Amino acid sequence: MKIRLFYKFVIAFLAIGVAAVMVAGFLIERELKTDLTIRIGEEMAAGAQIIALMPAGEIAGHAGDLAERTRARLTLIDAAGRVTADSELGDGETDGHLNRSEIQEARLRGIGKAVRYSHTLKKEMLYVAIPLREGAQTMGYIRLSRPLADINRTINATGEAVFDILLGTVIVSFLIAMLFAVKMLSPIGRLAAFTAKVRMGDVSGALRIESKDEIGQLSDNINEIVTTLQEKIRTADAEKRKLESLFSGMSEGVMVLDAENRIESVNQGMEGMTGRPHGEVIGKTLLEAFRNIELHDALERFRERKETVAEEIGLGDDRSVIMDVTISAVQGEGGGERKTMLVFHDVTRLKKLERIRTDFVANVTHEIRTPLTAIIGFAETLQQGIFENRETPRKFLRTIRENAERLNRLVDDLLTLSGLELGEAKLHLEEVRIEEALDQVLAIVGARAGEKGLTIRKEIAGELPLILVDRDRLAQILINILDNAIKFTPVGGTIAITTSPGEEGCLTVRIADTGAGIPKGEIPRLGERFYRADKMRSREMGGTGLGLSIVKHLMMAHGGRVLIDSALGHGTTVSLYFPIVPESK
Amino acid sequence: MEDKRHTSREYERELQEIRDGLLYLGALTERALERGAQALLERDSVLAREIVRDDEQIDRLDVDLEEKCIRLLALRQPAARDLRFITTAIKITGHLERIGDMAANIAEKVLILNDLPQIKPYVDLPRMVEISRGMIRKSLDAMVREDVELAKEVGEEDAVIDQLNDQVFRELLTFMMEDPRKIQVCLYIMQISKSLERIADHAEGIADMVIYMVTGTSIRHKPASAEQG
Repeated sequence: MKIRLFYKFVIAFLAIGVAAVMVAGFLIERELKTDLTIRIGEEMAAGAQIIALMPAGEIAGHAGDLAERTRARLTLIDAAGRVTADSELGDGETDGHLNRSEIQEARLRGIGKAVRYSHTLKKEMLYVAIPLREGAQTMGYIRLSRPLADINRTINATGEAVFDILLGTVIVSFLIAMLFAVKMLSPIGRLAAFTAKVRMGDVSGALRIESKDEIGQLSDNINEIVTTLQEKIRTADAEKRKLESLFSGMSEGVMVLDAENRIESVNQGMEGMTGRPHGEVIGKTLLEAFRNIELHDALERFRERKETVAEEIGLGDDRSVIMDVTISAVQGEGGGERKTMLVFHDVTRLKKLERIRTDFVANVTHEIRTPLTAIIGFAETLQQGIFENRETPRKFLRTIRENAERLNRLVDDLLTLSGLELGEAKLHLEEVRIEEALDQVLAIVGARAGEKGLTIRKEIAGELPLILVDRDRLAQILINILDNAIKFTPVGGTIAITTSPGEEGCLTVRIADTGAGIPKGEIPRLGERFYRADKMRSREMGGTGLGLSIVKHLMMAHGGRVLIDSALGHGTTVSLYFPIVPESK
Repeated sequence: MEDKRHTSREYERELQEIRDGLLYLGALTERALERGAQALLERDSVLAREIVRDDEQIDRLDVDLEEKCIRLLALRQPAARDLRFITTAIKITGHLERIGDMAANIAEKVLILNDLPQIKPYVDLPRMVEISRGMIRKSLDAMVREDVELAKEVGEEDAVIDQLNDQVFRELLTFMMEDPRKIQVCLYIMQISKSLERIADHAEGIADMVIYMVTGTSIRHKPASAEQG
């Protein structure tokens, strides 16, 4: 591009230069030739007139001398046309010169000029003749002649000088023009390169052309356009990134199906929910990607009704992930293509909470009704008042009392629990030695363990830090855990209590029994209210089903935590992590 | 030209319809099997009756799908790969329909078993259900991904199912010899086990068809060393 433009300039300049030299040369040469011929002619005429002043007889004698002085051939011709003297030929030629045009002209007008080929000298000659007069009579003619070649030589010499000057001027101006062209073309080349770069999509940088002319203006305009473009691209980019991060960052799963019902895009949330990477599902139909009947049926329903559909479906191989899916139509760009958008909202946790709540209500009712039924039943029997002995009503009354106590315990536990859950429980934190607390608790539960023939082993590591707890609550926690251990450990078993300074500012108390253990799958649910791993047995043992739940919440209120580890047939280990008193100094 | 492109697009859509239909049918049978196991383990007669009822849907879809395949064969005269796909699709839907029937069979047996006392907790049957379900899933996954290796895995798993079936048979035999009153229950359990074994066979059949569909070579009726192992 640049090269071609440059050559165009070169060719144009060269053409103009050559044409100028040729025209000027031609005109100057013509002018010079005319001018010189006239001047030389006049010079010769003046010479001839001076010669004519001499006495006629002397001219012939001095012919050679005169010719040399005038740098011309001198011919003397008498009135009859005979040559009387000639500076170059002697007296040889005598033919009539009267009819020669220069002589004729001289006779008629006083001076005659002619350019002719001289047969005597075999040259192109310029002739100038004047008449020699004595009074009114023409005595003869003086003719001076010079070969034209002489004149031409002068003309050529002058012409060459002129040509040289012209050529020099042209070369100099050509060089200047080239310089100018290069200077002008270089910014154009840069403009071209820059715009080409912009066309390819690279809008970085700017043109630097320091110039006040049109090219400078052009580059300023281009810079302006590029800046605007950069700004627009930046805005569009930012907008796109914002949308993208919104799309990928939202916790809901989003999936878009194209007009052919193939998956067009999924966001990160979707990938996380299904565990299927982006590349595995794009371009597939819903059935190919997920093979989920409920999802497919929901889509079919959406297609039939042509309105937004919201459904609850189970995802995953065992459909354990419960999703709220909303299917709606999206208009593609241009309004032509109909796309479908599916928004997935993971409600597994919500569903679980819902189940816990319904379970809770069912459990509470059940737990309350069991003792109530007993109380009502026995009270009715007592009312009827037919007894064989006195022992029976007493037994009945005892049962009623036991059940009422159980109800009372249940209500107490529920109150404790709801207080803890609401964060209303007041903890009187004090520095407690765990060993002391354990001893107190063991004094209470030890008897029951003894009855069952259980061995309680206690291993206290030497120096233990003090823990920051509510003394009564700590006792409640330990009693609950030990109670469970005693209940579920068969006769002759062992309960081992170990304490150790744990990591991260905690003190660990581990209570391990050799009981039946709990199935692994049940462990996460143990903290739930009324959740019983072994439904039949544990109620027989008289628990309210709230013990572990209370422990969990109490530990949380203290800033500690409970960890239960168990396997069926291998006993259960409950680890309690208590926060220790921070070292003050 | 325009018309031709339109036609080929329509054709593509019809092929996809068959592919999706197979997958939907597959998902239905997989669910029937899963629910059958649930009905068996939880002694849920309501669920069992639902499975028997849902089998009608599977049968209907099977007929629909087969008709679609035949219509496509007649009207479009597909060649090479597409022809292979459609012929295999006909066979696969047959297998799936049979799996659905087996699941319904199991549900029917569960209905009877639920009225009889349970003689022992099930150990092998849930495993058989899990494996055969996995086989169906894998064979359908292999179809979607055109994954021959995955399809071959299905064949290998069939051997495990056969072993389990034998194991169940032997175990039940001892129960029956011990106590003739348990014979009735044992026979039903045996039928369930046999149904599961048949389901696994059909899953293997599907996997074989997938291999044929992808590679064009049939591996059916060839003694595979894996089956003995």
